[in-house]
Parts: sequence; structure tokens; C-alpha cells
Amino acid sequence: MSWLWRGFRPILESVLAGLIGLGAGALIMRAWGYHPWSAYVVLFKESFGSGYGLASALANATPLILTALTFAIGARAGLFIIGAEGMMYMGAMGAVALSLFKLPAGIHALLALLCAAAAGILWGLIPALLRAYRGVHEVISTIMFNWLSHFLAFYLVANVLVDPVRAEKTLSVAKTSRLPLLMRGTDLSLGIVVAGFFALLLYVFLWHTVIGYEARAAGANPHAARYGGVSPQKTVLLVFALGGAVAGLAGAVEVMGRPPTYAVYSGLTNIAGFGFDGIGVAMIGRIHPLGIIPAAVFYGGLQAGARLMQMEAGVPFEMVRAVQGAIVLALALPELTRILKVFGRRLKVRREQA
Amino acid sequence: MAQFLLRAEGLTKVYPDGTLALSGVNLTVRPGEVLGLLGENGAGKTTLTKILSGLLSPTAGRLLTPRGPIRFHSPKDALKMGIGMVHQHFALVDTFTALENVALGLGGISLPSLRRKLEKLMEDTGLRVPLDVPVEKLAVGERQRVEILKVLARDVELLILDEPTSVLTPVETAELFKFLRNLRDQGKGVIFITHKLKEALTVTDRIVVLRRGKVAGEVFTRETTAAELARLMIGTEVEIGRRPVELALEGEVQALAGAPSQGEPVLVVKDLQVRSDTGELAVRGLSFELYPGEIFGIAGVEGNGQTELVEAICGLRRVESGEVWLLGQNVVGRPPTELYRLGMAHIPEDRWKYGLILPFTVAENAILGLQRRFHAAGFLRAWAVRTHAARIVREFGVQTAGLFAQAKSLSGGNQQKLIVGRELSKDPKVVVAAQPTRGLDIGAAQFIRDLLLRLREEGRAILLVSADLDEVLALSDRVAFMYEGTFTGLAGPAELTPETIGLLMGGVKAEPR
Repeated sequence: MSWLWRGFRPILESVLAGLIGLGAGALIMRAWGYHPWSAYVVLFKESFGSGYGLASALANATPLILTALTFAIGARAGLFIIGAEGMMYMGAMGAVALSLFKLPAGIHALLALLCAAAAGILWGLIPALLRAYRGVHEVISTIMFNWLSHFLAFYLVANVLVDPVRAEKTLSVAKTSRLPLLMRGTDLSLGIVVAGFFALLLYVFLWHTVIGYEARAAGANPHAARYGGVSPQKTVLLVFALGGAVAGLAGAVEVMGRPPTYAVYSGLTNIAGFGFDGIGVAMIGRIHPLGIIPAAVFYGGLQAGARLMQMEAGVPFEMVRAVQGAIVLALALPELTRILKVFGRRLKVRREQA
Repeated sequence: MAQFLLRAEGLTKVYPDGTLALSGVNLTVRPGEVLGLLGENGAGKTTLTKILSGLLSPTAGRLLTPRGPIRFHSPKDALKMGIGMVHQHFALVDTFTALENVALGLGGISLPSLRRKLEKLMEDTGLRVPLDVPVEKLAVGERQRVEILKVLARDVELLILDEPTSVLTPVETAELFKFLRNLRDQGKGVIFITHKLKEALTVTDRIVVLRRGKVAGEVFTRETTAAELARLMIGTEVEIGRRPVELALEGEVQALAGAPSQGEPVLVVKDLQVRSDTGELAVRGLSFELYPGEIFGIAGVEGNGQTELVEAICGLRRVESGEVWLLGQNVVGRPPTELYRLGMAHIPEDRWKYGLILPFTVAENAILGLQRRFHAAGFLRAWAVRTHAARIVREFGVQTAGLFAQAKSLSGGNQQKLIVGRELSKDPKVVVAAQPTRGLDIGAAQFIRDLLLRLREEGRAILLVSADLDEVLALSDRVAFMYEGTFTGLAGPAELTPETIGLLMGGVKAEPR
């Protein structure tokens, strides 16, 4: 039953890593004279122990699930897509832009999501083409495109989509285009269902379709994949498109589903970072579409609990961040080492071929 | 001057997996001579030189210098005793200049004084290299000179070169030979490893021939012929048709036709040219035909273009020029899956590179290349995949913990059985088998060989490319010998003598009859 063990091993590893991270966080707090136990009790009671806390955790998890999926599907196919951040900005812009039009409720939201996904795909197109046909490494190109996206979004927020009344933000998303809230008084919207649906969709894609099989083959052994008739170019384009779509949706669910403003602020302050956090979440979730869901909820819970840890346990915000960092790092470490090993091996192969 | 630079007595090396690479090898290297070390793949050349240069320690036997017995623990120890080796694969920092590369790891000498030393060295030996150009801008031959300079700068008395000409152009080879003679005339010793008869005859003073880990003969170059060397290299007993046959035929190498086969050829290769990864022509205008019901063997020392030939035929490498006809269709430029559909199967030479996806399960690997036959509306038909994999595992006796065990958990023999099973499940008309038994234990190797013979009985055509000479001779109906991208000869195994085989493998072309 080695295959059964193979399924459980990552989960066990993650639990163990989480405990180590909590221990390391406790040591940090202890060293500066805070009480780790009471701080952790507050953290977990508030984030997972109440309906409101859980709703916040889920709301925080919503965009992270989607951006983590971008990294995960890329990594499964042997691509290191760091570009979810930029794709996500474009998705948010696309979703807001659709509110320039008047459309019936429901259809409006659906079109906004489609537009956001298309914007994300488009933003990944050039790095994808460069990678597929010119061999330009996607880490470099997607990081560059993140900055292009960053400043393009700045411009759009301040000039094109700007709220005529309040210059510090874009137009608010039209009421007909908002994602309904699932729980009164919380930030939890239908977006979580969208995110969960896509996680499930990508899981089915990767493990139960022929093209998904080919994508994973290309990631696990590009030579054997070519031998097996997999076109490396097509795989790169397809994976970038799927990754771009979900990253675009991440931006969309955030602006369409996050009360009260339903808008993007200048400086992108309310959306910046989801793309990069998604990479961490993907690692915690062992770059598995279904593993990403609990990973994102946990990560979102840490964020939600942080405020209360500060207020109720008297742990300063910086300390909370340090403790969070320790926990996330410990959780991401097993997958991170695995990925770096694969990456190193691939660089070596490339050097040998040169 | 000392009588010898280095002497090896009774060197024996057994690798941890039980392979006997060397047994009781004696060797003496004298100052002022170029000693050739000749042998085919697996004869023990590399193992022997690795021991002489301190990379490996022998299981038994000892090394002697004029100052007495010595044990090397690392190449550094050997360098200290004045023994340096230039490997086939260069170890240079591409972005450093030649001077910087030589300085690396030398220590205790400033760059200006090293420059003076190198300039004197280049003056003395005639080995010229631009010192201030980054190595990546140098031609391959120049890079090799940098490697040689690296060793010479350490004041070695004995220089060991492992197949140094395999990367060189003819002009560069001639220059290298001039330099080696120069070095010899200065009283240094050189060990020159090769499998090319002509080179051994051109540049050496004395030749030691290795065969299966033993010294098969030691001759003075002046007093020998290509034919004698060939016989020493191959031996007099060669297995044909799985029974040892004493070969007695003597004479000139002639164009040997091989048994003409029946029917229409299923694979026709015409004037094929293919480039290697480094851009050189690895296959230089090959033509041959493969008929149903025959095993066509391609023998030869590895690295003579076999890998490139197989990859080009199987759609994995760009064809520079020429044609490949598979069952009446020109398939140049077609993707591998299309070739499989037409009726080709490919057992690749490198199991881990092409044959398997190691982290995938046995079931997933069982459909590699066939995945498009297992879908319904784009979804993998899990049950069909499982039945397919289970059948392969059962029919080919693949020992596995289960269909969902990772391929990397299988032993080498079982991995190969899985690959072979998968390829034969394509019901192919043409099977390209490259090094199909490499690294397998005797049982598994025999299983694969029997299988190839059975496929032949069933009327399928098999292209067998193998560096294992016995295997090719035992299984093939016709054998071609590949040398530097062309065939030096083509024959039925019964027409061959050890001498002919040795000459053909060593690059002496068959004369037209």
C-alpha cells in the first residue's frame, strides 16, 4: 500500500511542519517576553473558533486560492510562473471596467468574471509566447510583466477608471456586477464558491484529462513527454492561459466581492500582494489544487487572527508578522526544497546541453 | 633518468555492483614515449585511467613510482606525483579566460608570474592558446588545449588523455598529435586512450590492448598492423546465434552484403544527415533498408552517431537532410505520435530520459505515447488505463508493488520490461531498440533478447542498436558497423572475422569487392 502512504505522507509532513512552525513562533514570542500560549489561543479561537472568524478566514482565502492555482498548475507543468500578481491586477481592472456598462444583474457579474479571466490570459500571453518559441525563462519575463502591470494599473486607477467623486479610488463595481455575500455582516462572498470550483476544475484537469496528463508529463520529464508526443509549445501556452485565467479571476473576486467599497484604491493597496502570497499558499498546499484550499484558509485565518492577537494578547503587530512568517516558512519548506531540487536539476541539464 | 614513470602491478577493480572491470592488469609507462591504450566499450580503459590518475582506488594490486609503491587518495595526490589527466568532458569556467582557468585551484602563484610561466610553456610545447579571451569564445580544440595547459602548469611528467580526438576536427587532431610528439621528445610520458586504430598507429610508440578488463596484448607500434590490433581488441571467440563459434576466416575487409531479405522494406533511410547537440554532423549520409522479419543490428563504439541516428528516425531530432520512409511514407518532420500510429515502436537507449516518467505511476507510464487512445471526450478512461497497465505487468512479468507504485520504485530490469511492454502494446511493425539490455542483470537481458527474437519470428522488423558487440552478433541477421556517422561495413554475422569486426569498428572502411 505504498501508494496510500504516498497520499498521506504530504499531509503528515505538513502537519508536522505546522507544529514546528508554531513552536518556532512560540520561541520567538517567548524570547521577547510574550505569552505564546495565550496568543495562539486568541489566534485560533478568533480565526477558526467562531462563525465570524471563519468567514473572515474564508474571505481572505478567496483570492489566494486562485493565485495559488496559477503557481501550482505552472509548477506541475514545469513552469515557474511568478506572474500571478500582474495578471491579478489586470483581472481587477477588467472587472472594474465592465462596470462602465449597464447590464442586467447576474449576466453583468458573469461577463465581468469572463472579462477578468480574459485580461489575465492576455497578460500572460507574451511571456508564454516568449517561453514557448524563444526559450525566454518565465521567471524573468513574468516578474518584468508584474512591474508593467503594476504601473499600467496605477495609470488606469488614476486616469481611466477613476471615481469622478473620490480620486483615491476607481469606480465602484456596479451593484448588478457584485458577488452576493454569503453571510450577513461578513466579507464572505460567492467568490469563495468560484475559487473552490476552479480548484476542483484544475484538479480534474490535471489528473483526469488527457491534456492534463500531458501537462504533468511535460513538468515531470520534458524529454519523456516529447517522446510521448506532447508538444512542449502547446503545453506552455495552455498552462499559461489557465494560470492567467484564474489569476485574473482572483483580482475580480476581490473587487466584486469585498465590501464596502468594491473598488481598487490608488497604489493598489487593497489588492497588492495576493499574487505573491499565492506562491506561498501553493507551496503550503503542496502545489496540489485540492491541497491549496485548506492552505489558503489557514493562511487567511492567520491574517484574520493577527489583528486580534495584537488587540487581545498584546502582541505587537511586527511580532505577529514574525510569528506568521515562521509558521508559513515551516509549512512551505517541504515543497520549496522539492521544487528547488527539480529546478536545480533542470538548470544542470540545460548547462550540459549548452 | 628513471626506467619508468609509473608502473601498475596486478590491478583489479570490482565495482560495488559486482562488475569486474579490471583483473590483474600490468602496465608500465616510460619517460619519452606515447603509450596507446586501445579497447572497445567496457574493456576497462576508463577504469584503468581513473585508477592511474587517483580518481578510483583499485580493489587489488598496486601502483609503483620510481620512488616506491604509492597509494593515491585523490587526483591531487596523483598530480603531486606528476600524473595529470585530461578528461573527455571539459571542466572549465566558461566566463573565465584561459589564464584564469589555469590559475583556478593552482594557488600560491600570482597571475603575472603564471602568465610568464604559461608563455614559456606554450613556447616549449607549441601549444598555443589565447590567454585573455573568455573560454566560451574559444573553439572546442582550443578549450581542450586549455585543459591540457591546466595539467601541464602543474609540472606533470605523465599526461593521460581520455579519447582526446573525439571532439576534434581533423586539423585539430593533427596539431594535437604534433604536440604530443613534442612532449615525448622532451622526455615526458603520455598515455593516449582511443578506440580508433588509425590514431593509435599514427601517434603512439607502444600499444596496450585491453579486452574485458585484461591486457589482451602489448605491441610496439612499429611492428604491428591494424589487423593485428583488431584481432587483439575483439578476441577470437565471438558468440554467434547464441553459441560460441571459433572464427577462422582471414583476409581483407570486403564489402559484405549480408543475407538479402524478403519482401518490401518497412523502413528505408536515405542519405540521412543529422546534427548532434553541439551542432556537428553526427550522422553523415547514412542509407539502409530494414525488412520485415529481420533484426538489423548496428554495432560500433558509442558516440559514433548511433544516438542521433535513432532519435532522428524516431522523430525526436531534427533531420538535417535525407529521407526516412516508414511503411511507404516519408516521415521526416513528423511528430513521434504519428510514427507510433503508423506502426513504429521505440525502446529508447536512456530509460530515465525518454523511456519513463519516474515520479509517475506504473499505470501512467504504461500509456505514455498512447495517452490519446485512452480518452473519452478528453477525459482519461481510468479503467481502460488500469486494464491496459495490468495486462502489460502480467504479460511481461513486471515486478511492482502495484499499478499505482511510482516507476522509480521499480528495479532497472522491471522498468525496462514496462517500457518494452508498453512499446509492444502498440502492435508495431517496426521496433527500434536502442541499447535494450544496458545495465540489466543477466535474467532480464535474456528475457529482452528472447523477446526480440520472438518479434522477428512474428515477422516484425527490428532495428537493434547496441554497443554490446556479442548481443548484436548473436541476434542480428545483418550487422552494420557505425563509425563517425557512417557505416564502415555491412555483413551477415557469419561472414565476419574478429579481425574484420575490429577493423570495421576501428574506422577502417570495407573495400568494394
